[in-house]
Amino acid sequence: MSLQEPVLCQRIPTWPWGDPADRHLIGLDEYLSTGGYAALDKALAMQPTEVIAAVKESELRGRGGAGFPAGMKWGFLPPEDGKQRFLTVNADESEPGTFKDRLLLDFDPHLLLEGIAICMHACRLDTAYIYIRGEYHAQAKTLQKAVDESYKHNVFGENSKLGRINDRAPQCYVHRGAGAYICGEETALLESLEGKRGWPRNKPPFPAIAGAFARPTIINNVETLAIVPAIIDRGPAWFKSMGKDRPEGAPPAVPASFGPKLYGISGHVNRPGVYEDDLGIKVSTLIETHGQGMRGGKKFKGAIPGGISMGILGPDQYDAELDFDIGKKYGCLGLGTAGVIVMDEDTDMVAVARNICRFFSHESCGQCTPCREGTGWMYKLLTRIEAGGGTSKDIDLLLELSGSMGSMPGTTICGLADGANWAVRTIVNKFRADFEAKVRKKPHSRLRVLPVGVG
Amino acid sequence: MAWIVKNSATQQIDKRDEPYLDDTLRAELEAEIIPRYPTRQAATLPVLHALQHKHHWLPHQALAEAAGFLGLHPSEVLDTATFYEDFRLQPMGQYLIMVCQSLSCELMGHTSLVDALRDKLGIEPGGTTDDGRFTLLTVECLGSCGTAPCALVNETLHESLTIENLDKVLNELP
Ligand SMILES: Cc1cc2nc3c(=O)[nH]c(=O)nc-3n(C[C@H](O)[C@H](O)[C@H](O)COP(=O)(O)O)c2cc1C
Ligand code: SF4
Ligand code: FES
Repeated sequence: MSLQEPVLCQRIPTWPWGDPADRHLIGLDEYLSTGGYAALDKALAMQPTEVIAAVKESELRGRGGAGFPAGMKWGFLPPEDGKQRFLTVNADESEPGTFKDRLLLDFDPHLLLEGIAICMHACRLDTAYIYIRGEYHAQAKTLQKAVDESYKHNVFGENSKLGRINDRAPQCYVHRGAGAYICGEETALLESLEGKRGWPRNKPPFPAIAGAFARPTIINNVETLAIVPAIIDRGPAWFKSMGKDRPEGAPPAVPASFGPKLYGISGHVNRPGVYEDDLGIKVSTLIETHGQGMRGGKKFKGAIPGGISMGILGPDQYDAELDFDIGKKYGCLGLGTAGVIVMDEDTDMVAVARNICRFFSHESCGQCTPCREGTGWMYKLLTRIEAGGGTSKDIDLLLELSGSMGSMPGTTICGLADGANWAVRTIVNKFRADFEAKVRKKPHSRLRVLPVGVG
Repeated sequence: MAWIVKNSATQQIDKRDEPYLDDTLRAELEAEIIPRYPTRQAATLPVLHALQHKHHWLPHQALAEAAGFLGLHPSEVLDTATFYEDFRLQPMGQYLIMVCQSLSCELMGHTSLVDALRDKLGIEPGGTTDDGRFTLLTVECLGSCGTAPCALVNETLHESLTIENLDKVLNELP
């Protein structure tokens, strides 16, 4: 199983179809001359409900990390009431190991804009904000240029081909973040968009009911929206011919993994980068075919499946399939962003866990005590173990701390703490020997009981 | 660190007569940015970005002027500004060198870059050189993990760095 033709990368030269050295920004003219905006015209000839039905039928799952079915999310919106409704596009991409959305923003921004316009038509949303992380300076400029072009081409604006939505001219704006990982969490993103600190909200209400400015709002990842034009153009059946179906006889509750996916690969491989392939390819295929093997011919030790929140795959999980069922099958949190970080035999897993905890401790928004304090304590413990000052009790303490923080244990508002939790638990459990080798078996016996001389 | 309360209360605010948010910028923001959002508060990040782009950092007076412009209390703008890593509430060196320290970059040897910069500039991460030319910072993932290690110098990203090519980048700065 491997992808026959590039879909998201149809205009972006990517191995094995093209040489990344030939990449260039696709402007409006080139986008149009290569079939761009045809899917939008096709969608506009359909009823909005038909577009949603097509996306539902394709079983497209969100590409931002949680894998929620996009069509179902679109279906949650309440009926229109004539007032403003929003689309917020999540281009905050800040999860270490993740750099896939950037490829689309760098080279084919109109593909995203076409997806945005189709979504606005289908869901009756009149205003779109593309929330792009502050550090993407060049990408924000490229995107703004493409947005300006799309206004001239009447995708958005007063004469938009979408017509009037909620009695408004459809608008699309670029909104820059300012360096906070947590603003990728959808409700933190909304708070940030409203001009406040990026503090995740308690749910419900869900954004589809009361999101940005307390109005119905859809939030989707860049890659999720960028695949929508192809689904409309070539149909759900075509989309489902790629990727991986749920195992035979499995109930519909088991997630299917249809369609192509962008994979990022970084770390100890010969050719890191972003590659497009079917959902469900093996980690080994990703490393050997796309990554051109382990750097320096070293042995594989472990890999993060999709951004550091997802936990880790051990040496015996080299053949794990990268699909939405990976969490259950291989003891990690999930597929995440499919930004795979590969580590060779020389990697110290204590250092990996320490790096990850520093990240979460630094990026915690501070609202929930288990997350704010727990990530900091785990970072301190790991620093101590790495420096050789830890005891075996510290390892158990790490497991206890990590196991008690997160929205799944029910102690925090958002999923950031779950990321820290899964990373630490899976690294300690799958690489316990690395930790044992660094700690003393017995605690320091600074207090010694001395015989007391009597008499 | 988003949740660390930054020094702000009981602080003397340096005042100058010339506004940071001058009439030209004010008019530009009023025409271009404000109409995009249903509330004025939503323009906080764009307004702070514009001010920082112009002045390289955000003095308290600038925050207070932004608050006036946005129809907010200064503490509300301060509350937002202190949350975000990108907003600089202290003067910085002319060039901000932000070296990524997240996992892919650590695996690919970011530590040697930071050590080389320490030696070259004579400062620790967080510090600014005496001549005010460079500030060195270590930051989290820059979304460039496939070309690790990497660093932002002001608004320009430099990828696949080695000690030699980073040195070259710095030496060639105007
Ligand atoms: C801590 C945290 C950080 C997140 N960061 C991002 C991000 O940078 N980009 C993104 O698209 N989704 C991110 N998400 C997931 C979003 O909350 C949300 O699920 C997603 O944007 C929905 O879009 P999708 O359904 O198209 O995937 C993050 C979630 C959490 C809990
Ligand atoms: S889990 Fe952490 S990041 Fe999420 S809301 Fe709580 S403190 Fe903030
Ligand atoms: S880890 Fe350094 S850019 Fe992502």
